[in-house]
Amino acid sequence: MLLVISFLVYLGLELAPGDAVSHMISPELASTITEEQLNAMREAYGLNQSFLTRYWLWLTSMVQGDMGYSMAGGVAISEIMAKTIPATLELSIVALIFSTIIGCSLGVISALKRGSGTDNSLTVAGMAGVSIPEFFFGLVAILLFAIELRWLPVGGRLLPHYENVWDRIPNIVLPSMVLALMMTAGAMRYARSSMLDVLSREFITTARSKGMPEWRINILHGFRVALTPVVVLIGFRLPLLIGGSTIIEQVYQWPGIGSMFIRSVRASDYPLVMTISLMYVFVVLTASLVIDILTALIDPRVRLGKE
Amino acid sequence: MAKSSLDKKFDKIREIEESKSFSTKKRSRIISKFVNNKLAVFGLIVFSIILLATIFAPLLSPYDPMRVDLRSMRQSPSLEHWFGTDNTGRDVFTRVLFGGRVSIFIGLGSAILSALVGIAVGCYAGYKGGWIDVIALRISEIFMSFPQIILVLLLVSITGQSLFNLMAIFIVTGWGGMYRLARARMLSLREEEYVQALRSFGLSTFTICYKHMLPNALSPIMVNITLSTAMFILTEAGLSFLGLGVPLNIPTWGNILNVAQDILVLQNYWWMWGPVGIVISVFVLCVNFIGDGLRDSTDPSQQG
Repeated sequence: MLLVISFLVYLGLELAPGDAVSHMISPELASTITEEQLNAMREAYGLNQSFLTRYWLWLTSMVQGDMGYSMAGGVAISEIMAKTIPATLELSIVALIFSTIIGCSLGVISALKRGSGTDNSLTVAGMAGVSIPEFFFGLVAILLFAIELRWLPVGGRLLPHYENVWDRIPNIVLPSMVLALMMTAGAMRYARSSMLDVLSREFITTARSKGMPEWRINILHGFRVALTPVVVLIGFRLPLLIGGSTIIEQVYQWPGIGSMFIRSVRASDYPLVMTISLMYVFVVLTASLVIDILTALIDPRVRLGKE
Repeated sequence: MAKSSLDKKFDKIREIEESKSFSTKKRSRIISKFVNNKLAVFGLIVFSIILLATIFAPLLSPYDPMRVDLRSMRQSPSLEHWFGTDNTGRDVFTRVLFGGRVSIFIGLGSAILSALVGIAVGCYAGYKGGWIDVIALRISEIFMSFPQIILVLLLVSITGQSLFNLMAIFIVTGWGGMYRLARARMLSLREEEYVQALRSFGLSTFTICYKHMLPNALSPIMVNITLSTAMFILTEAGLSFLGLGVPLNIPTWGNILNVAQDILVLQNYWWMWGPVGIVISVFVLCVNFIGDGLRDSTDPSQQG
């Protein structure tokens, strides 16, 4: 699967307007440069070989861990990735934790008070959460907390001379909260429907008939059973979150993989665009495999293949 | 023999049954359920207001959305300019209206077109099975293994920016979900008896799957179209906000928001980006309300 996609992406970028050489020369140079010089440059970068040969060369070096170099600035791509991936992971995981906690508790509350005003307003709020463009929300948050109130920094990840873990916190609060709010709505829905489902089961009635206090039923029996599938589903959203953080990273100038991707798309830096998008595919495919295995382990009704 | 009260009741029921055919009754139930859903009705009303406002934009605003007027730049909202003016003196209210045209057109257009592609492939492949189905499934899997925004950005970098390209990209990335939905419905409908009956009549595959099976799969598809409209509008806004969507000279909601990347604009000229953001949010929210209302009224399995 990954192979097919890598081939398609390579093919697509091959068809994109302009080859690598035309991006390397400046406009002033372009008017004076001769066809021979251009050809010599293509020769030097191996661009005159056939498409398949180049794909094969690229693929083999990729498998060996050599990702090549970015066309803008000539930095090794592996170096860029090593710098940006931790930043994105940091942001996504914090956001995931926030959204899971908030989403699950709100979802359970609205399931327990089903049909009440709280439930309805939470549902509407959840829909508002998925409807507001995340970057608009982010901008409002910047204006409010960073510019007007000056509580938190506008963006960035770390000031140069602050290395302490605690110094990172103010920077991560805004982007991760904005990101988390976008995720919360989904988590809330899952939690609500799963909790409703569990509450209508027979063992809850049994517990109630034994005279157990309502809060113990909810927490010990309902909560625990209901949240297992929810947590699995939320884990499944991590790759989505990594993709979804792209725009937020840009808004907050977070030096993660998402803002790097946007920059490389803007600069038509094809090697970088390609490597990063393949990495996303890799993450998604791996995550779905892991989730499949996890659900099989947790839920005995799901079986992988024949047994 | 005198009629008992039970007989009278039955007479009444029969009368009602005879006066309306069954199908209209079913449809009216869907509509009445939809009408009873306050949020959905509210969504539909606001949706229509915004839609009509953008369609009749030239009547509502005396300004030209593209005309630069440097004498009146960066004015705060007033009676003359409801949402103020932007960096080059263009009336923001007018731009929101005209931008809405493009944004809604992109959202709705790509949702419907990608649904058409997805349904056309999904129905046929789901009904026929075999190698067509295998290939289509593989292709949709390829598209679905990217996070959506990443795939869109990748394709933008390959094809370059234009209105047409963006819609094409949305269709390419969006048909997969619709295809899966249509296919799944078809797989379950395929085993129903009426389909086997139709087949035994010797009807062509085409007629069976598009004329007889498709209407039974339509309601989840309608819901999906509304939800993907909302999603496409958001994606367009996000892309244009980054400056990677529709070219900047065409006003769209995202392009108007683009100025807010500048921290000075963000801080001092709230009217340039605030109202647009609110309009987008409200519009998408309404589309989501409609979609939710549609699902509640057509799908009996999703109650509560």
